[in-house]
Amino acid sequence: MKKLIIAGKEFTSRLFIGTGKYSSNKIMAQSIEASATEMVTVALRRVDIQNPQDNMLAAIDRKKYLLLPNTSGARNAEEAIRLARLARAATEINWLKLEVTPDPYYLLPDPIETLKAAEILVKEGFVVLPYINADPVLAKKLQDIGTATVMPLAAPIGSNQGLKTKAAIEIIIAQAAVPVVVDAGLGMPSHAAEAMEMGADAVLINTAIATANDPIKMAEAFKKAVQAGREAFEAGSAGVKNHADASSPLTGFLRD
Amino acid sequence: MAILKINGENKTFENVPSTMKALLEFLNVDDATVVAEVNGQIIPRGSFDKTPLQDGHSIELIRFVGGG
Repeated sequence: MKKLIIAGKEFTSRLFIGTGKYSSNKIMAQSIEASATEMVTVALRRVDIQNPQDNMLAAIDRKKYLLLPNTSGARNAEEAIRLARLARAATEINWLKLEVTPDPYYLLPDPIETLKAAEILVKEGFVVLPYINADPVLAKKLQDIGTATVMPLAAPIGSNQGLKTKAAIEIIIAQAAVPVVVDAGLGMPSHAAEAMEMGADAVLINTAIATANDPIKMAEAFKKAVQAGREAFEAGSAGVKNHADASSPLTGFLRD
Repeated sequence: MAILKINGENKTFENVPSTMKALLEFLNVDDATVVAEVNGQIIPRGSFDKTPLQDGHSIELIRFVGGG
């Protein structure tokens, strides 16, 4: 499998993992391990003053996994930029999953505010991985201003619906000059394999693993699916035909 | 008596903790796990003991949680 390079950093795994919704930090850590990922997303929230000891970061080995802080909860560019700067102060690294979602029901990303925030954050030296709707025009604008990837959604966050935006993601991949990471909505390993077979560079999975009956086993299943999908893409499909094309010889039959 | 606004809620103190570090100790928050703002300004990690606090300051204490 070819290595993935984002902003000069090499990744062997093409599966990124979100850390939300796990039943415990222990299950999260074991699922991350089983997925063989090298990058995990985290969110920033206020410390619960009543319960100040809770610290999920202790469960993540930062030597093995690059932290990708997100700006979840931001409703506009200003809030996203504030979260980005806080994340950088907290991690002392400048990688960022930029997400701006004004409406909590569908959690669809705001393209105008995302582009606005991305322009400022790229200038401030952030490695910006923007979460976007599967909009090829927006994806192109973001790569042109210097984002490290584009991350189009397959379906609404946490919906497990699969690749609902397939046709638009195909266009994004066709015109991409930066890695395309399919993020949000992939519910089963087959969905991830389909995205990788299309030529997506990576996928980001959270809910489908974290809320499975056995998250560790599901993490392993996604790992295999992403590998299989990528290898199939690299191998190259022979294409689809509308008629049969015999696999056995059409000569030498036992009849006169 | 003095008031600090911490994560959106007013908290009353007999004596305001003198620095951010002292406040975190008072709240039993491990300073290695948080990022802090005072009146909207980010306090660089490692500067908590050099950040004086006073009556009326608005403080945000933030940390990483699970997220996608």
